[in-house]
Amino acid sequence: MRRRDVSRRAVVTALPMVVLGGRAAAREPLRLGLTPVFLDSDLALLRALEAYLGRATGFAPELVKRRTYQEITALLLAGRLDAAWICGYPFVEHADRLALVAVPLHRGSPLYRSYLIVPADSGAERLEDLRGTTHAFSDPASNSGYLVTRHRLLLDGERPETFFARSFFTFGHRNVIRAVAAGLADGGSVDGYVWEVMARREPAIAGATRVLEASEWFGFPPIAALAAQRRSPAVEALARALVAMPQDPLGREILAVLDLDGFVPGEPILYAGIAAMRERLRAEG
Amino acid sequence: MRALSPRAWPMAFKVPLFVALLMAGLALVIGQVVLHRLSRDQERHLAELASAYLDGVSTAVLPAAIRRDVWEAFEALDRARDRYRGIAIVVAIVTEPSGTVLAASAPRLFPVGSVLPEPLLARFPDGDRLVIDAAAERGFIARELREGEIAVGRILVELDIAALIAERAEVRLALVAVNAAIAVLLAAAGFWLVRRMLAPLSILRAHVAAGEDGAMTPVPEVVIARQPPEFAALFRAFNRTARALAEREAMAARLAEEEKYALLGKLASGLAHEVNNPLGGLFTAVDTLSRHGADPEVRQRTLALLRRGLADIRTVVRASLVTAKERPGQGALRPEDIDDLRLLVRHEAERKGIRLIWRNDLAGELALDRTMVRQVVLNLLLNAVAASPEGSTVSLAAQIVDGSLRVTVADSGGGLPPWARHVLAHPEEGPPTGGGLGLWTAARLARALGGRILVEAAPGGSRLGLAAPIAGEPALAA
Repeated sequence: MRRRDVSRRAVVTALPMVVLGGRAAAREPLRLGLTPVFLDSDLALLRALEAYLGRATGFAPELVKRRTYQEITALLLAGRLDAAWICGYPFVEHADRLALVAVPLHRGSPLYRSYLIVPADSGAERLEDLRGTTHAFSDPASNSGYLVTRHRLLLDGERPETFFARSFFTFGHRNVIRAVAAGLADGGSVDGYVWEVMARREPAIAGATRVLEASEWFGFPPIAALAAQRRSPAVEALARALVAMPQDPLGREILAVLDLDGFVPGEPILYAGIAAMRERLRAEG
Repeated sequence: MRALSPRAWPMAFKVPLFVALLMAGLALVIGQVVLHRLSRDQERHLAELASAYLDGVSTAVLPAAIRRDVWEAFEALDRARDRYRGIAIVVAIVTEPSGTVLAASAPRLFPVGSVLPEPLLARFPDGDRLVIDAAAERGFIARELREGEIAVGRILVELDIAALIAERAEVRLALVAVNAAIAVLLAAAGFWLVRRMLAPLSILRAHVAAGEDGAMTPVPEVVIARQPPEFAALFRAFNRTARALAEREAMAARLAEEEKYALLGKLASGLAHEVNNPLGGLFTAVDTLSRHGADPEVRQRTLALLRRGLADIRTVVRASLVTAKERPGQGALRPEDIDDLRLLVRHEAERKGIRLIWRNDLAGELALDRTMVRQVVLNLLLNAVAASPEGSTVSLAAQIVDGSLRVTVADSGGGLPPWARHVLAHPEEGPPTGGGLGLWTAARLARALGGRILVEAAPGGSRLGLAAPIAGEPALAA
């Protein structure tokens, strides 16, 4: 129901842009990179987001998607994007060059967890039971979908390559859930927030899996920009628009679909936990 | 048993049965052709669909196979699953060159990294050929994944062809139902048609059957007018035959009647003679009585003479009464019945100076119709007397031979002409023209007695005999 509302609203609100097409060319573009840290597979949602940002920022939003985190990160670092919704892991990896634009609030806090999931009918009771099985990761540059599990294994003195018989990347949290639900993988590492949203919106898929382990809390995947461009009018407008989202009807619709409460400016300290894990893993080689 | 033989079946049953069998045979042939064509078209169509599916999937899977990307391969298979109409994928499997599973649309059955069981692998043909297993309702097709000359994997697809099989079964059922309906309809139509066509035959049969009890009645012209021309012609021919037969019957009856009167005439003349013979003596006796009646001795002798003469007359009258009045079936044959005949032919014989040699060996009653036997023998005797020259002899011998009555009459007439032999052998052909009616009557009556007239050549004449089996006596094979 909500999805339909959003898409209808998106069409309605997008109309003025079409009408002002002649002037739209004159508007400055706002290039926003997106990664599967949220349900980026929902095209209706993307239209609504584009419509909201276009109206709220006064810029011409351009949503850019790539297959992997790395591609988006590379575009962002190269200055080809004004900002991008990335994972905390690449953010800490390039902390020297990136700055926070906004951090989503999920159930009142800017934090999320990583889930280790297995098929609902799996007999596994702990991580150790997954030894020698096939494992699905989300993205090599994903905190919840790769780094957390790697770090978790490291604490037991294990490495994914040897602990699992085989593992593969699906380049999307939703795909990890699908792979585990279908039985393609015996276990998966997934963004806990995405799993929760999926459990609500696509119970047929998420319901075929269950959470084996939940990690500690980490900083929610942020919207980041090059530190050098953080104060540019486009990025500033974006930051304002995101924080103001709960005050706008369409913004509220989008947030409801995403199961988010809103966005806050955020602090880099949120990602200290991820940075610590990264350091430990680097030290281990 | 004979009723079960197909030859004995009525046409009204045989023709529709033949039509129905013909239809069944035709339906079988057509059904086979249709089903064969259907299977071939279905399989070609399915092979095309499977090939199109493989084209699409292999394009999507190839990069994943090159990179050995499990998820990409799975997703390509998963996306394609519902995208191809008219093709039901049971399972699609991407294998690596080593033969292990890279990804399968049913990962639980074929886990990543597992090796396919050999029996399953063996079902997939090389090349893009589709192999159908109709019994299992499955189809199998596989395609090599190649990057240039390098094999990077293989896609194996198992198809559910239950819909195809069901369609075939439906078509087969429809064919059988339609053909059975047509066969039954045609058989019914054939039954009706043949019944209609053969209806005139039953009319004819009724008219012919009427002939068993009496004269055959012609088919009325009103009925003939309603028949098709073939049957009308047949009916008219039947009517002509029936009329001809009736005329012949009437003529035969008339001739027999005439013969009887002729016989009666002869008998009457013989009778008169027989009566007349003693009459002279009787008158003389009466004269003697009137003149010398006072003399007791003379009266005694004359009265005895008178009694003998009257007794002779009574015997003759009684014999002729029997011959003239009796009807067939009025009594068994006695030896005297044969002897009586001598009186009846004596006058004719004496007229020609023919001597009768009489030998009757019969004793007691015989289970034979005496009227008919007497008529036959009388005819034979009269014929013999007529045929014999003056002053010759005619002899009769009556005896029992092998359980049959045998009455033989021999003459000195110089033999039987050929036409007379023919009349005796074939009395059913009707009375002869121009004489021989007596012989024909004798032959007919002999037949009626269950016997026949024997013809033998004798020195200086012929010998004709009645042979008639005696009821109740064991007749030996002649």
